[in-house]
Amino acid sequence: MSLFLIGINHRTAPVEVREQLAFTEAELPAALQAMTTREAVQECLIISTCNRVEIIAEASDPGYLHDLIYKLKDVQPHQIQSHLFQHADLEAIKHTFRVASSLDSMIVGEPQILGQVKDAFKIAQDAGTVGHSLTRLMNRAFAVAKKVRNETGIAANAVSISYVAVELARKVFDSLEGTTIMLLGAGEMAELAAKHLITNGAKKLLIANRTYENAVNLANEMNGEAVRFEDLDQRLAEADIVLSSTGASHYLITPNQVEKAISARRNRPMFLIDIAVPRNIDPAISELDNAFVFDIDDLEAVASANLQEREREALRAEEIISAEAERFAATMNEGNLNHVIGVFRREIHQLTLEELERSRKKLGDLTPEQEEALQLMLNGIVNKFTHPIIRQMRDSEDGHSAYLEAFRELYHRDN
Amino acid sequence: MTALLTIALLLYLASIFYAVLTFAGSEHPAKKLHWLSLLIGAGLLAHTFSILLNWIYLEHFPIVNIKEICSLIAWAIAGYCLSAVPRHKARALPVILSTIAFILTLLSLLWPEQQTSETVINLITASTFTRVIFPLHVTMLVLSYAAFVVTLAAGIMYLIQERELKAKRFGTAFKWLPALNTCDEIGYRSLTIGFVSLTLGMVTGMMWGKQHDGRFWHNDPKEVMALVTWIVYLGIMHYRLTAGWRGRRVAWLAIGGFVAVLMTFIGARAMGGYHVFG
Repeated sequence: MSLFLIGINHRTAPVEVREQLAFTEAELPAALQAMTTREAVQECLIISTCNRVEIIAEASDPGYLHDLIYKLKDVQPHQIQSHLFQHADLEAIKHTFRVASSLDSMIVGEPQILGQVKDAFKIAQDAGTVGHSLTRLMNRAFAVAKKVRNETGIAANAVSISYVAVELARKVFDSLEGTTIMLLGAGEMAELAAKHLITNGAKKLLIANRTYENAVNLANEMNGEAVRFEDLDQRLAEADIVLSSTGASHYLITPNQVEKAISARRNRPMFLIDIAVPRNIDPAISELDNAFVFDIDDLEAVASANLQEREREALRAEEIISAEAERFAATMNEGNLNHVIGVFRREIHQLTLEELERSRKKLGDLTPEQEEALQLMLNGIVNKFTHPIIRQMRDSEDGHSAYLEAFRELYHRDN
Repeated sequence: MTALLTIALLLYLASIFYAVLTFAGSEHPAKKLHWLSLLIGAGLLAHTFSILLNWIYLEHFPIVNIKEICSLIAWAIAGYCLSAVPRHKARALPVILSTIAFILTLLSLLWPEQQTSETVINLITASTFTRVIFPLHVTMLVLSYAAFVVTLAAGIMYLIQERELKAKRFGTAFKWLPALNTCDEIGYRSLTIGFVSLTLGMVTGMMWGKQHDGRFWHNDPKEVMALVTWIVYLGIMHYRLTAGWRGRRVAWLAIGGFVAVLMTFIGARAMGGYHVFG
């Protein structure tokens, strides 16, 4: 039995291929059970998300798993074979750790994947298809993911424009709890940023648009309040955060307007984000007290700096994972090695005992002393015989299972 | 007493290191903050006992020379620091405050011993009234100094953070320093505490003066400077409440206010007058 990981992910396959193999949550228990019906697969777990389908199994024959995948998903092998990857033992452990730690994610460090892996494990537990080996592996993977998160900065800083906007706003307002946002225009990125701000506690959303209808529609959709463009001047003072992404070719918001607004706000700060190109918010506003203006380039500069930071941190994370995977593989082998040695000794001892029984008649009655001497002799033979082999097993890095297999094959034994 | 103060000093030093590591190493320092509270709290406790023992030993409230004043201000700042820690939004504030507490405690330990003049001792131990009014008078003023140090720190943090934001530089200062609104809030809160303490300190001083020689006001340089300081801070409070002054302008005014505090504290001493201590 070895650990195998067979999978397909956003690196190896486009979405058209991935979706053919994806399992819905409802399909998983049956699929897991189908995979573990034969003895070739003892334990099995399936992680199926929009970016990956990965099957982790304790199995003796990965070929059987492949066949099952084709059968379960009703696909022809040639269609997906080139997209599938397969890892065994150390590589499989490492890959599992990388996935759980979000190093294999499309956006490195994104936090959802760990939850998805945990869910996958839970489903397999409920389906009764994970045992001792995979439980150990997954628990270790969760611990490693936590360690990576705590000890490196892979998830520390925002790497998308809309999150950067939230991060910057936090440096002005600290908490976004109760803030009011004004959205100008209906750019997708500005909408996304507004959504993030609302998830982070912003209370009120004002939406202004040249075409009032559009503002009303968007306001209905996003649970905001539509504002007429003519009223912009009056309503501007309500906004703590202004997000702009209109198609206008000139500045819609001028220093004069903002100065008045801030004065009406009794100097409470205003945070203005201009995602539009050409820009909608006059950069000269930045010179006013208590007004902070950021345009798309500023946000992108922060995002890309953060991304670089993440990539540097990802290298550190890879080191942690390699070390952890090797340690885990070693303890797994250690467990195996001692098990193998035990089995080996027992088997040989059993052989000698069988021989002794056959000679009992000829030996006649033995005194206790003679009996003891005989037992000692047999033990001595077993030890002499197995000692160099066991030493070889211990010395070889991970080749001990080969010795056991050779032994079983030579002496026609199987346990 | 020196031993206790040294223990306090070492605990403050440990707090600085711990605070720096906590804020430098983690995006979510909140979880580790109780250790910081514990360190500062232990330091503060040792410090408190050192002052109390000194009081009992000297038989008068121990704040008549530089050594004792440094110690008491450090104590007040450490107390402020302890109260600021749980509000983890303040981030860099505990680092700054524990550093100031450390420096002042160190100064207090290193400053040479000096004999307190008999007249001063007599003045503050003259009657039960002075025995009560004197500790009140100085403690209030020391608390106000400590609070104004916090106001100053908040103002400086605000100005640096604002400059980083305007210049779009997102480096260490940007990450370490609190949000602008938080700086503003810390500044305003400490300003209020400082102003109230200053007022109480001045009132108790006047009561003492009245009892001593029948006059509330002596045109002593320290009295004059204290009044100037009081007016500066009153002005900030007033414009903050009525005109909504805040942020950058208030930060600069807080720095100006602190100059007045320093003038009161050190300058007035140089100009003479009967406030021979503090």
